[in-house]
Amino acid sequence: MSAGENGGSGGCINGIKSALRVIPNFPKPGIMFQDITTLLLDPKAFKDTIDLFVERYKDKDISVIVGIEARGFIFGPPIALAIGAKFVPLRKPKKLPGEVISEKYILEYGSDCLEMHVGAVESGDRALVVDDLVATGGTLCAAMNLLERAGAEVVECACVIEVPDLKGRERLRSHGKPLYVLVESQFEPNSQ
Amino acid sequence: MDTLKIFNSNVVIQRFFYSGNFVNQLKLTALSFSSTCPKKRSISASTAPVGTGGRHFHTAASNHRNTSCFSHMAAPTSDGHKEDVKDDRISRITSAIRVIPDFPKPGILFQDITTLLLDPVAFKDTIDLFVERYKDKDISVVAGVEARGFIFGPPIALAIGAKFVPMRKPNKLPGAVISQEYSLEYGTDKIEMHVGAVQEGERALVIDDLIATGGTLCAAISLLERVGVKVVECACVIELPDLKGRDRLGDKPLFVL
Repeated sequence: MSAGENGGSGGCINGIKSALRVIPNFPKPGIMFQDITTLLLDPKAFKDTIDLFVERYKDKDISVIVGIEARGFIFGPPIALAIGAKFVPLRKPKKLPGEVISEKYILEYGSDCLEMHVGAVESGDRALVVDDLVATGGTLCAAMNLLERAGAEVVECACVIEVPDLKGRERLRSHGKPLYVLVESQFEPNSQ
Repeated sequence: MDTLKIFNSNVVIQRFFYSGNFVNQLKLTALSFSSTCPKKRSISASTAPVGTGGRHFHTAASNHRNTSCFSHMAAPTSDGHKEDVKDDRISRITSAIRVIPDFPKPGILFQDITTLLLDPVAFKDTIDLFVERYKDKDISVVAGVEARGFIFGPPIALAIGAKFVPMRKPNKLPGAVISQEYSLEYGTDKIEMHVGAVQEGERALVIDDLIATGGTLCAAISLLERVGVKVVECACVIELPDLKGRDRLGDKPLFVL
């Protein structure tokens, strides 16, 4: 489900949506890049974003929030702090010191890899995966695999933005996991 | 391996223990830090006056200036209980940080904050300590350096009602950016900030998890000052005093936990 369907938080959502901006042709021609940095420049909209997630998850007994490098590091920790959960960063290879487990995943061209510290997550932990945006869902699936390999239960994946055409939601559904987003992407660059 | 560092005056004894590869215990007694202290001249050729702290074998005559890697909150309070509470928070934070030897290269002791993030109380205390320090300082911008600065910066920004501006490696930020190059031990690197993220006259805080040589923080300060922003202070969870980052910042104040 997306928060846009929730009438009550409609005002908040509009504020958040209008704070996002779209940069055409980044990083490659033809891609409409959804830029959340403008959201971070609006303290009220940023706070509303976090509050919406916190409202949803504070009573769900979440013990760990996993954030995907690097923009997941911006949204994950504030939510974790508010609900009293651990925050576990998932990183590109060789960034995390010490023992890690890795999960490879497929990109449009080639593959990439996500790593998590051994011991960060325990069997029985209830986890939330946070990232700024879901596109194909490849990164989120890799994150969920890491969590499940460590024995955690993935409760949900949460993103600020969804790019519906890239079918990330379907991919997560086939993994058996729900996805919660605040907004669906816009295709016209904002005039602001 | 034990390293015993002794500071003059009655302030600090620090001992580092390693047990295996994993947990590093740091014990420290109360320290103090104030940005109003008299500045010491640096040992290096730099002519800029140097801020306090971060140095071993300190011979300052000042009565409350001796700091090491970890310094306490600013103004001493007459409320003994309050100071005890702050001490407890700091010790919980320091014991939550682990040291990984020989990462990323042999000989380097890597200060890993991820274990701090696994302790919700210690993580919250970390943020609270920064928020208490900055909430009344009229800070309109918190700038965080990729990627671990993204973990600490946003919660502080949210709590004090400031904007958060990410400083990123090249080609990560879309749209128009300004860049600042800085030197590494071997070669150079670059960080970028969005054009228009900050305005002239704003008051900024720069956050990172750790300060080593100070190169990244200096680059971040440059980016902000180039567009007319006043950098009020740099704040980090950890300082590696031997790498003299504090000196490199010159007259810019540095606050570390």
